[in-house]
Amino acid sequence: MFNAFQNSSTTAQKRYTLRTMAFMGGYTAVMVAVIFGAFDSIQNTPAAWVLALAVTAPIVGQIWTSLAFMRESDEFMRAVMAKQFILSSGISMALFTAWGFGESFANAPHAEGWLIYPLFWAVMGLTAPFLKSSS
Amino acid sequence: MKNSLKLLRVERGWTQEQLGQELGVSRQAVNALETEKHDPSLDLAYRIAVLFTRPVEDIFENPHT
Repeated sequence: MFNAFQNSSTTAQKRYTLRTMAFMGGYTAVMVAVIFGAFDSIQNTPAAWVLALAVTAPIVGQIWTSLAFMRESDEFMRAVMAKQFILSSGISMALFTAWGFGESFANAPHAEGWLIYPLFWAVMGLTAPFLKSSS
Repeated sequence: MKNSLKLLRVERGWTQEQLGQELGVSRQAVNALETEKHDPSLDLAYRIAVLFTRPVEDIFENPHT
C-alpha cells in the first residue's frame, strides 16, 4: 500500500502512515521481547494469555487504522485500499490454509499461527505496487 | 472511462493537485480519473460537471452508446 500511495500528502494518508507505524512498532516490540525470552517465565500460566492479547491488540489497531483511512479518504483511495486489504488477506489465508493442510497430511514443518500477520504484510508489500486501479 | 478531464484541467492551467482541491479529492484520484484507472461515482461526476459548467456526458464518454 505504501507504493500505491507514494508521493502522498493528504491528511488521511499522513494519519494512516503514523497510525500504522505506531501499531506496527507496538507489535514488533512485543515480538522482539518474546524472541529474546522476556516472557519465558510466564509460559503455561494464565499470564500467557495476557501476552497473547498484547500481541493481538496492535493487529486490531491496524484494522481500525485501515477502516479510518477509508472513512477519511476519497472514493478512489478507498477502493484501492479495499482491494489491497482483500487481496492481501485472501492470499495470506489461502497460503496459511494450504500450509496447515500440508502439516496435517504431508509432514510439512510446523508454522506458528502468529506468522500470518507478518505474512499479510509481506503479501501486501508484494501486491500493492500492482494495484493502482479501482476496478 | 474515456473522458476529457485532462484537457479541461490544462485549459484552466490547473495542476492535478489544484483540481483535486477544487473537487475535494486527492491528486491520485485526479490522476486515476485522467488515466482511466477509476470510474467516478455519480456524485463525483456531477461535481466535476458543475466545476467545469458542462453536462456530465460532455466530459465522460457514455460507454453504453
